[in-house]
Amino acid sequence: MSLQYLKDAVANGDREKLIRYVRLHLGDGNEQQGRAEIDKAWIEALKLLLDVPPTDREFIVETLATKDPATLAHLFFNLHFYFVRHSGEWIHDGTL
Amino acid sequence: MMEPSNTREQLRPGLWVTINERYPGSMITRSETVPLAALRQPLAAARLTFVSSAGVQPKGSLPFDVVHPVGDYSFRRVPSNSKPEDLEIHQLKYPTVDAHRDLNVIFPIERLQELAAEGVIGGLTPHLFSFIGYNMDPERLEQTLAEEIADAVVAEGADAALLCPA
Repeated sequence: MSLQYLKDAVANGDREKLIRYVRLHLGDGNEQQGRAEIDKAWIEALKLLLDVPPTDREFIVETLATKDPATLAHLFFNLHFYFVRHSGEWIHDGTL
Repeated sequence: MMEPSNTREQLRPGLWVTINERYPGSMITRSETVPLAALRQPLAAARLTFVSSAGVQPKGSLPFDVVHPVGDYSFRRVPSNSKPEDLEIHQLKYPTVDAHRDLNVIFPIERLQELAAEGVIGGLTPHLFSFIGYNMDPERLEQTLAEEIADAVVAEGADAALLCPA
């Protein structure tokens, strides 16, 4: 079972299995692509902040303080895809 | 006339050979099988439903969650009288380019409507059903999503169900 595979990896502290799963998910089954997608999302987020534009820090602080960790984890995955799409280099275009 | 396709030919053998390598442990191995139910009336009198993992849904409905690492275990009801332009696809894990050109290649709603209009089948259930195939917890898939869709199919009075993996 895939989920048990991951839970076993958590129990055993096998970080490589866990991050490999994330890379495969983000890279549509291509681990190297997934690694590049993670980099792409972080670079895009960094670029958006270089000019120090006004941001809604109250929203951020309130969200982090009031939402449960699972919701924030779900948001984290959504943000990854958001920034990848925002970069303009969208590999999830239906061609696989 | 086109030659019939070889039903034993796997269209994407490379993908499936490596599926467990790509998504470790994700393939379901089952030793028991559920026997197919016999059709209780002629096909021309049977009400057909359609169940698809293509991630097709009515525009404006909550998009399938294509980013969750373990998958989305919800389904959508698609009115069987929908037009393709009423529908959209939310799914990242299969090639959707051709489906965006003609939805019928993955979700043949117009072909099914034609079969009903021509009397080949008795009709369609009020809704057809769709979910996304990226579900990495087979037990949850079987015990929640599959059961919920099965209940919905029965509630809509289906005599037969056409199951179509994307």
